[in-house]
Amino acid sequence: MVIGTGAGGGPTAARLAEAGLEVVVLESGPHLDARDFNGVEGEMFFRLGRFAATDDGSLNLYAGHCVGGSTVVNDALCWRTPPEVLARWREEHGLAPLSDAALAPFVDRVWRDVGATPTRRAYLNRNAHALERGAHRLGWAAEPMARNVRGCLNLGLCNLGCPSNAKQSTLVTYVPRAVAAGARLLPLMHAERLLHEGGRAQGVVATRLDPVSGAPAGELTVRAPLVCVAAGVLETGALLLRSGLRGRRGTAGQGLQFHSSVHVTARFAEPIHGYFGPTMAYAISEFADVLGHRGPGFMIENTAVHPLVTAQNLPGFGEEHERAMAALPFLAKAVVVLRDRTRGRVRLDRAGRAAFGYALLPEDLARMGEGMRAAARAYLAAGALEVWLPMDGVAPVRSERELDALADRVPRQAELFSLYAVHLFGGAAMGGGPAQGFCSVEGEAFDVSGLYVVDAAGLPGNTGANPQVTIMANALRIAEGIAARGVRA
Amino acid sequence: MSGPLLERELQASLAVLDRRGFLRLTGLAAAAGLLPAGCGEAPAGLRPPPGLVLRVLTPRSYATFQAAALRILGPAGRALADAGAIDVAGRADGRLATLPAFAGLVQQALLALEFGVWPLVPKLRPFTALPEEGRDQVLRGLATARLDLSRALFRGVRSFTWLAYYSAIQSHAAIAYPGPFGGPGASVHDAMTYDPTL
Repeated sequence: MVIGTGAGGGPTAARLAEAGLEVVVLESGPHLDARDFNGVEGEMFFRLGRFAATDDGSLNLYAGHCVGGSTVVNDALCWRTPPEVLARWREEHGLAPLSDAALAPFVDRVWRDVGATPTRRAYLNRNAHALERGAHRLGWAAEPMARNVRGCLNLGLCNLGCPSNAKQSTLVTYVPRAVAAGARLLPLMHAERLLHEGGRAQGVVATRLDPVSGAPAGELTVRAPLVCVAAGVLETGALLLRSGLRGRRGTAGQGLQFHSSVHVTARFAEPIHGYFGPTMAYAISEFADVLGHRGPGFMIENTAVHPLVTAQNLPGFGEEHERAMAALPFLAKAVVVLRDRTRGRVRLDRAGRAAFGYALLPEDLARMGEGMRAAARAYLAAGALEVWLPMDGVAPVRSERELDALADRVPRQAELFSLYAVHLFGGAAMGGGPAQGFCSVEGEAFDVSGLYVVDAAGLPGNTGANPQVTIMANALRIAEGIAARGVRA
Repeated sequence: MSGPLLERELQASLAVLDRRGFLRLTGLAAAAGLLPAGCGEAPAGLRPPPGLVLRVLTPRSYATFQAAALRILGPAGRALADAGAIDVAGRADGRLATLPAFAGLVQQALLALEFGVWPLVPKLRPFTALPEEGRDQVLRGLATARLDLSRALFRGVRSFTWLAYYSAIQSHAAIAYPGPFGGPGASVHDAMTYDPTL
């Protein structure tokens, strides 16, 4: 039994099915494909994903809710697992076996499976070039990112469901492999609670969802001696809690960590057409604290300039807003991806649904402010006419001098009007023992044998770089172990 | 992953409103006639068009949303709405029908905007009864309020306006957006030209 079909569930299902196990895969979202992906923002966001917000509403997130999960709505970015991150997990979470050498074969395998390749210059759009030009003039470390695409047509729709199937999401890689190997895929099945008895996994109870309304339309119970949970960080934590599995030390739902992010938008004199080309492809890594960098811990990456999201990241209303939006073809946009030090937690609301609390530490807010200013500085160096920071009450910045005036301004979380978690981690993390995590380094829950956490909920913290390859590699590593050990009857 | 933010922003805003229960109080007060506002029929120019069957919004909340949206949009957007090319509140109603978890919260937010008064909303009359300049002042006051709750109310209404407006293909000409697969204005090729200055 595998719950979820994204970066964790997809590879797990494929590996277990190919190992000869009888596999049933539950997915709470619908099974859509490239024929359904019409590139219309206002439609695809809702068909492919779900939205959530912190208890206080000041930080938001969006996660894939379809076969393929968030790999269908991500931007195809691939980074190898930073060695600094693994070292930290070994030291602080007792994960000694998780060495670089232990994970590397699985990273290599994922790299091949999803067609991850460095982005060549021919695939950098003007949006990426704007960021590159700024970094180049400032002498900052920056580079094109690797992407998991095959035959990319530069449509600019990576995060809205790739209509050409160029993006190698699990929808077109691991899930078809799992099905070809005999796995049964059941979309529109929401896992309600895990069945367990005497410390052993027994299966899952799921609600069947109506394909049109999404309303409950029946119940399904699947008995299985092996249950791999990969429902997404929030849903995995919530599923464990709904099932009465809190961990011996209350570790379930704890240790939630994000890459928090905001968008910075710039207007140029020349056309950018940032709605076409790879949605993301170029990163300023000068300020990262992984992969050999010693910065404060954030990346700046170009991101697509589609109308809806761009509107949301511009301040004001009325004529002021319309003037900015009228320049859409001339806008470039970057996302500041912060490696948070904050920790939050997943809990259940009164209806038993996933909820989460996450208040950014002052030091994280300060670094976010630094990241926003750095992105603005890069754009000004690249020749931007004006730059909008996503903060209430801050006028567009048109010069270094104006930017310097904001140097001491540390934003409050509530002031950042587009703060969102771009990547989620933890909530059911691996650890050296029950006091350090919910599951072992093999991914198996300390309290329930046969229950595995195989998505980013099992990772002990954030990675400082886009994590899909790390999630996939860890899932393959855990699945490989399961396949090698075998499953009790 | 780049961030699709509109609906998240709305949810964030409304989560604040719901959590604090302030709007419920406002709504109750308005219903009880305690606020200096009547609950009469919406102004004529803001009513739903004949034949439109509302799925979530009431005629009153439709009018409130439309009144706010017409000020949140700029002149070009207003011209499209006035010409009947985009029914912003009607489109918002259609989207809300697919988001049952938000429907009640949006109703509360609109109730607060219409009937809420200082300190949450800087006015003393129903929003729809204000002249256009008055509505602008209210929205500006909300946008720059020191009270996080007031700013959240503004963001929620603004976010849903953008969602309803920019998801309409008729809005694209004003922002020179050629559509997801390109058009006469621009194509993929235009975005992929190498910058020779590097």
